[in-house]
Amino acid sequence: MVNLVNIAVNWLLLSALYALVAIGFTLIFGVGGVLNLAHGANITIGAYTAYLLTTSLGASVWVGALGALVVPGLFSLALYQGLVSKVEEHPITVMILTLVTALVVEQVFVVGVGTTPRTVSSLLRGSVTIAGTSVRTNRLLVFVLSWVLIGALFAYITRTRQGKAILATSMSEKGAAIVGIDDGRIFTLTWLIAGMLAGIAGLFLASFTSAQPFIGRSPLLLSFSIVVLGGIGSIRGSVIGAYLVGLLDVVTVSMISTRLSGLLPLVVLVVVLIVRPEGLFGRELVE
Amino acid sequence: MKATGGGAVLAAMTGYAGRVTRQTQGGSVEGPIKIGVLGPADSPVGQSIFNSVTLAADEINGEGGIGGAQVQVVTKDTKQDPSTGRAAYQELTTGENVDLTAGIFTSEVLLTILPLMAQQQTIHLTSGAATPEAPQQVAASYDQFKYFFRVGPVNSHYLGVNMVDFAKAEFGDMGFSSVAVMAEDFKWTEPISAALQGDLEDTGVDVPYNERIAGDTQDFTPIYDEIQSQDVDAVYTVLAHIGTSSLVQWAKQQRPFQYGGIHVPAQYPNFWELTTGATAYVFAQNTATPQVGPTDQSVPYANAYNDQFGGYPIYTGYSAYDSVYIYKNAVEQAGSKNADDLVEPLEGTSYTGVSGTVEFYGRDSDYPHDVKYGSDLAFPLWYQWQPAGDGGTPAVFYPDSLADGQYEPAPWTQ
Repeated sequence: MVNLVNIAVNWLLLSALYALVAIGFTLIFGVGGVLNLAHGANITIGAYTAYLLTTSLGASVWVGALGALVVPGLFSLALYQGLVSKVEEHPITVMILTLVTALVVEQVFVVGVGTTPRTVSSLLRGSVTIAGTSVRTNRLLVFVLSWVLIGALFAYITRTRQGKAILATSMSEKGAAIVGIDDGRIFTLTWLIAGMLAGIAGLFLASFTSAQPFIGRSPLLLSFSIVVLGGIGSIRGSVIGAYLVGLLDVVTVSMISTRLSGLLPLVVLVVVLIVRPEGLFGRELVE
Repeated sequence: MKATGGGAVLAAMTGYAGRVTRQTQGGSVEGPIKIGVLGPADSPVGQSIFNSVTLAADEINGEGGIGGAQVQVVTKDTKQDPSTGRAAYQELTTGENVDLTAGIFTSEVLLTILPLMAQQQTIHLTSGAATPEAPQQVAASYDQFKYFFRVGPVNSHYLGVNMVDFAKAEFGDMGFSSVAVMAEDFKWTEPISAALQGDLEDTGVDVPYNERIAGDTQDFTPIYDEIQSQDVDAVYTVLAHIGTSSLVQWAKQQRPFQYGGIHVPAQYPNFWELTTGATAYVFAQNTATPQVGPTDQSVPYANAYNDQFGGYPIYTGYSAYDSVYIYKNAVEQAGSKNADDLVEPLEGTSYTGVSGTVEFYGRDSDYPHDVKYGSDLAFPLWYQWQPAGDGGTPAVFYPDSLADGQYEPAPWTQ
C-alpha cells in the first residue's frame, strides 16, 4: 500500500501544473467571455518548441523553456488578433474557430514530427528526499515555478495598473470602457498571458512524460472540470479547483483503480454543472 | 548505398538473393495484380507496412512479376480509425478493384473490415493487428471469413504465451523473483492479460501487482509508487499507446526496479534517438532487430529496406513483406488470382521469410488462418536497449540461438 506522504506529494506536484493550465483558460473566459478550445494547442506548441530547440538546435533546456514561454504566447496572440478578435461578439463562432485551430495544430505536428512521442529534457536532474519520500528535483522545480508564475500573475492582476484593468474588464466591460480602459488591448494581453502559461505548462508536462501531438487534449478537458468546479472566470477558484481535481486524480489512481485515471474529473464536471453550475466560488464580481 | 532499380539490382547490391531462388514461374496469370495496402500513414508502423509491400513488389516485378503479371501497389490511410479504415477498404476493393489487401495494423480497424472481406471475396493477409477475434470469426463462420489470414505477428494470446515462455527461460538469470504486471487498458491487451493470469505465477515468479492502466494515463508517479511499495524486481509491461510516457517516467525517476516486456514504442529501431537514451536498459519483445532476425533473410531485408527508405523497418514491415511473397506463391501454385482458388494453397503455406517460418493454423483449430506460434515457426525474440558508443543498440538475449548480447540490470537499481 502506498503511504499518505507519497499521495500528498504527488497531489501537490500535479495540481500546481493543472492550476497553471487552468488559469489561462479561465482568464480568457473571465475577461473576454469566450471559451478558447485552442488552449491545449498552446501546451502542444510549448512542448514541441522546447523539444525542437533542445534536440534539433542543441540549445540548453533553459533556452527551450524560454521558447516554450514565448512561442505559444505569440501563437495565442496571433490567434486572437488574426481570427478571434474579428468574431469575438459571437462566442459560438469563437468556440468553433478555436476548436478547428486546435485540430489544425495537432495535425501540423502529426504530419511534421509524427505521432511517436518525443522525450523532452528535464530542467533539473537528480532527486531530493521530502518526508522520507524521494522526489525528482525536476518535478519540485515545476511545482515551485508553477507557484512563482501563479503568484506573479496574482500580483500583476491585483497590484499593477494594467493588471487591474484586466480585472476591471472581467468585472464589467462597459464599466471598464467608461473609465477609459481599451478592452481590445486587455483582451490581447489576456490571450498572450494565457498562451505563455499554457506553453510553459506544456514544457513541464512533456519534461516528465513526453511530447506528442495530442498532449494538449487531456489538460484542456481537465481545465473544463477545474474551472467549472472553481467557478468559471475565477482565478482563485481555478487554483483551488486544480487542487481538488488533482486530489481526485491521485487518490483514484493510488487507492481506487488505475483504470479510472482521468474519468473522475469528468464526472465532477457533470455533477457540478447540474448541482452547482456557478461552481464553488462563482465569478468574483459580475456585471 | 542507395538502391535505385528493381529486385535484381537490389539483390546484387545487397547480396540479397534469398527471394530469387524461390522464384517459380507458375504459368501465366492475367495482370496486373493489384495489392491494396492499409495502414496508419502518419505512423512508423504504417510506413513500414507500405514500404515493405512496395519493396517486395519491386523485387518481384524485377524478377518477372507474379506468374508473369506485374504487381501494382495502392496504399490507403486508415488513420487507425475503424470508419476511415472501412471506407479505405471499400475504395480499394470496389474503386481500385485490388486482388489482395494487406497491412491494417489496428485491431479495431481489422474487426470492422472483416465482414466486408466476405462480401468482397478478396484475400486479406493481415500485418500488425494481433486480435484473436479475427481467426475466431473464421472458426465460427468459415465460408464467410475464409479470405482472412494473419501473417504476423502471432496473435495476442500467443504474445502472452511468449511472455510466459520468456519468463520461464530468463527471469531466473535476470534476477527476477517478483514482478509487477502493467497492461494498458485497451482491447489488444485483454488476451495477453488473460494468458498471463496464473500462468506467469506458475513459472515460479511472484506477481504481487497485476493492474490494467487507463489508456490516457499521463502521470505514472502514483502507479510507480505503488509498484515500488511491493518491492518487486521488475515491471513487466504490456504497453503501446502510453508506452513512451511510462518508460520515460521510469527512467527519469530512476525507479529501483527493471522495466520491460511487450512495449511497442521500444520496438522502433530509432527509439534510442527518439527518447534521447531514456530507453537504456529497457527489455522488449520484437520480431527482429536490424542486426538480428529469426531467419537468415531477416537482416538482408532490413538492410535492403534501409537502403531504399533511409531507416530500418518496424515489426509490421517484416510480416507485410512476407505476405506479398506468400501471396505470390499461392497465386503461382493455383495458376489463378481468383480468391476462392487461393484459399487452399494459402492454407497449405509453409514459407520461411523474413519474419520467421509462416504456417497457418488449420480450419479445425481455435485460430484458423492465424500464423502458428512456435520456436521453429513464428517466435518473437527479446532484446535490451544498451548504451553503445554515443548512442544505443538493441542487444538480443533470447532465444539463446539468436543472442548477440547479455541482459544487464539498470545501474541505478544496483
